[in-house]
Amino acid sequence: MKIDILARGAFTSALVHLQPGERFQSESSAMFRASSNIDIDVTTRPKGGAGGVLGGLKRLIAGDSFFLSTYTVDNGQAGEVGLSPTLQGEVRHVAVSRAAGWTCAGGSYLGSDAHLSLDLEFQGLKGLFSGERLFFVKVTGEGDLLVNAYGHITEVEVDGELIVDTGHVVAFESQLDYTLSKVAGSWVQSYLAGEGFVLHFKGHGKLLVQSHNPKEFGGLLGRHLPPRRS
Amino acid sequence: MQVTILGNPEYGELSVRLDPGETITTEAGAMSRMSPSLEMRSRVMGGVVSGLGRKLFGGESFFVAEYGGARGGQLSLSPGLPGTVCHQRISGDVLWLTAGSFLACTAGVTVRARFGGVKALFSGEGATLLRAEGEGDLWFNAYGAVVERELDGELTVDTGHVVAWEPSINYTIAGFGGLKSTFFSGEGLTMKFSGRGKVWLQSRNLPATGGWLSPFCVG
Repeated sequence: MKIDILARGAFTSALVHLQPGERFQSESSAMFRASSNIDIDVTTRPKGGAGGVLGGLKRLIAGDSFFLSTYTVDNGQAGEVGLSPTLQGEVRHVAVSRAAGWTCAGGSYLGSDAHLSLDLEFQGLKGLFSGERLFFVKVTGEGDLLVNAYGHITEVEVDGELIVDTGHVVAFESQLDYTLSKVAGSWVQSYLAGEGFVLHFKGHGKLLVQSHNPKEFGGLLGRHLPPRRS
Repeated sequence: MQVTILGNPEYGELSVRLDPGETITTEAGAMSRMSPSLEMRSRVMGGVVSGLGRKLFGGESFFVAEYGGARGGQLSLSPGLPGTVCHQRISGDVLWLTAGSFLACTAGVTVRARFGGVKALFSGEGATLLRAEGEGDLWFNAYGAVVERELDGELTVDTGHVVAWEPSINYTIAGFGGLKSTFFSGEGLTMKFSGRGKVWLQSRNLPATGGWLSPFCVG
């Protein structure tokens, strides 16, 4: 399996080259081109992870689409699948290993080697009240993972502690500890400063952050959209 | 203090290193990540009354956030809109900003919300303009790329594309041509700038993006 990251910057996409026997999966809406020998299987059951309707529902809540698509080649020849995220921003390739599993923020998961296991982590009731999509997709195993972001991605090597706004977290190595907290001493202060929940990371590991926050942009743009019909 | 602008032109953000005791003031919600050695406090900029004015009449937040700490630290700040981040040194002079363009400033700079009068009310940008003055550094952001014009004479600009201008420049609100062309050209109201000084414009227009997107918002 070989993955090319195309057009770095605001409009990145990925091209996955598959050999016979290899399987890649992505959120179902991500595929925008495929060679004619690609077989697409849509499922709610990722290999090794939470499957069935419940798994699909959990993924839906996590901000990813309900279904996952799995791609294989069907004629013994090499094939390719192009994947593009909905958000305007960067796509990054992450090598997941048995030594270092990765955790993706809800909407950041784009696709992965189908041999990797996906599991959802719910961030507790606090996550519900925060208005943020605090579901994480935990990726374990050995293989390729693709994440997408709104804006540019910066890789940060956490060594000690770091505070990150929940709207800017893309993915991180699972060995990092984190707690959901507020940025100021009091909730009132945090609210007034426009900073709701932050993740307080501790430990050593890689963290990918996105330059921009889709929720902030949505809030600004939303004022210029017609009211939602209920 | 060391501030670097990263990611221009499409996704500009600020990377800030604060020395012990230094502070930086930012638009509410702009912090994306920071060292735990820093503390945040919210405060009203330019007094309670103008803060209230901002809340009632402008798109700008009531409160701003101030970051600093006894040990210093590192933080990143990003605007809500994708686009270019600009830096301007203020030393005893004034800069006018449209509401929503303010990103951050150092301790010596004050940003006050000013009711722009009826003409600003019709500009589609909210009636509040921001007046930055004092001594220090100011960072502001645009939607899209920034077009910087050194003006000597007149310039007509769609109101949705105005970011900032120097106080030596006057402006009036008008349509492009008569009332008929205002309605049918798709151009909104315009600001007619005149004088000598600098004007900053943005290459994209948020109300226009919203207008284009609206037909696709179903349910």
